[in-house]
Amino acid sequence: MGTLFNELKQDILYQHGMNACLNCGVCTAVCPAAEFNDYSPREIMNIVQSEDDEQIEDLLKSDKIWYCGQCFSCKTRCPRGNNTASVVLALRRLSIRHGYFAESEKGRQQLFAKRVFGENVLKRGYTLLAENITPAHFPELGENWEYYYEHRAEMRQWWDVPMDLENSPGSHRMIPEKDLDEVRRIYQKTGAIALMDAVEKGMEKKLGSKAEVEKYWQTWLETGDSRNYEIPDRQ
Amino acid sequence: MKLAGKNQAWERHQKHIPTIDEEGGKLWGCFRSCFLQSAAPYTEGIGYKILKNDLGMELREAPGHTSCGAIGYHGDVSNLETQMVVAARNFSVAHHELGVDNLFSFCVTSFANYTEMIKLWEEEPEWREYTEKTLKETTGREFWIPHVSGGRPSVVHASDVFFANREKLAAKAKYSLKGVKAVDHIGCHYGKIFPGECLGGAEFPQVLVGLLEAFGAEIVDYPERRHCCGMGFRQCAFPENRDYTASSVYKKLKSLKEAHPDCHLILTNCPGCTVFLDAEQGTIKEVLEEEFNVSILDYAQLTGLLLGYDPFKDCGLNAKVVPIEPLLDKIGIPYDKSKTAEERRRPF
Ligand code: SF4
Ligand code: SF4
Repeated sequence: MGTLFNELKQDILYQHGMNACLNCGVCTAVCPAAEFNDYSPREIMNIVQSEDDEQIEDLLKSDKIWYCGQCFSCKTRCPRGNNTASVVLALRRLSIRHGYFAESEKGRQQLFAKRVFGENVLKRGYTLLAENITPAHFPELGENWEYYYEHRAEMRQWWDVPMDLENSPGSHRMIPEKDLDEVRRIYQKTGAIALMDAVEKGMEKKLGSKAEVEKYWQTWLETGDSRNYEIPDRQ
Repeated sequence: MKLAGKNQAWERHQKHIPTIDEEGGKLWGCFRSCFLQSAAPYTEGIGYKILKNDLGMELREAPGHTSCGAIGYHGDVSNLETQMVVAARNFSVAHHELGVDNLFSFCVTSFANYTEMIKLWEEEPEWREYTEKTLKETTGREFWIPHVSGGRPSVVHASDVFFANREKLAAKAKYSLKGVKAVDHIGCHYGKIFPGECLGGAEFPQVLVGLLEAFGAEIVDYPERRHCCGMGFRQCAFPENRDYTASSVYKKLKSLKEAHPDCHLILTNCPGCTVFLDAEQGTIKEVLEEEFNVSILDYAQLTGLLLGYDPFKDCGLNAKVVPIEPLLDKIGIPYDKSKTAEERRRPF
């Protein structure tokens, strides 16, 4: 049993997710992510259960842990009451803390999660904002969405769901600063800020500089596809 | 055999949701959804109108309540500890600032997240203590746990509230779904994480079927009915991962089409399913040249249509990929035919 496994064991998400896995594969049979990707929740549970740091490190550096769609279909079905979805969450946090996430293409997408979901919460108190659902990043929403997006302030008035009102209840309102400060303190105290900082640091280490991280981010913003950014060769 | 199993599951998975005829059933605190307010704000809008105008409820929400943060939790920017304290803060704001005891959320992921925290506090007193202490330290607020369903620690989802009052809603409906085939698609985070908190359990959830039946629809079944829509948080949020979402939607709709080619209505209760089961039909049409034309409506939009609210201005059917008019024609709901489809959707 190695140090990585020991650290994993400390995470309440792991403690709640893992009883003992009998390797039956029921989770993989129902898993939507296993159907379309090189991914198997059974394999994840098996590797973790080996308590072998070398195998766990490989897993943390791979795309695999990032394929899970967090639907919890596996939890409903597991005959041993395991919750692979929670074990995956614990693995992802371990991968972020050690900077291993930056070694895989899917792991590096954590920069977007941090800068969208994470920073939105700290800035506005919501994980998603109206401005995030751009027609360029969501072309499947179609031409009517393009129209809506362009006229979103008026459209929301028209639908009786106005946005960005101050000191008011309702959807997409401005949350008072004093309440946001409370949320920021909670995020600080419970380690969420440290988790987010580890993402920026891990990316900087992998890409070589803050400027390269910004380039990676801009590439995603502009093209919607981070694979258009070429990872610098730093032999 | 089949029916016996269904009945047993139904008995095991009952939960009580206060109706408007019960004490306290008219006063609710509600939590808005990040996803809906960004990608489909009108669904909460029509939900609000129905609960207030048609069921006579008083809905309270505080300016200072925030996201439950669960999109960030499943998207890996927060810890379980973060979720505990944020949940406790939102409960405390609702109870101590607004004086409400009954709470529902518009998002199924919030519903699952709040349920998870409540169960954790019940089962592991040391985490409850941690939450109380951290809440006090970071916000100065007092800890409080809601007991919405049957007097036990719990919250419910907005679709539960519609279900509980379905007979009243059906009695007020101007239009019926008689002769319309329909099927439910239950959000994974409503039914699969805590099947005991899902009316009817993960196998035979009744929350949407009950509503459809109250409105007279004919319910159909199909093999992939319980398959996830593939929303997947980081999968749908980042365009380069959305092939997963599109593939999941394709798998489901293909299965529905094979079993019931004449079913063109899926009722949802999850923000993600509501948006992506519709939107990816556009991708599929473009990439595979295959059309399903299945309208995806959430419980509030469908109820709104049947109560006689305007399909576009009230129910917000402006931005769907699948045109709504064929379904309106089938039910017999009028709309302005002197305008083009585009004019009906674009008022400015
Ligand atoms: S269903 Fe449960 S016991 Fe079976 S392989 Fe998956 S996690 Fe292990
Ligand atoms: S939660 Fe993840 S591992 Fe479990 S079934 Fe869903 S996608 Fe698969």
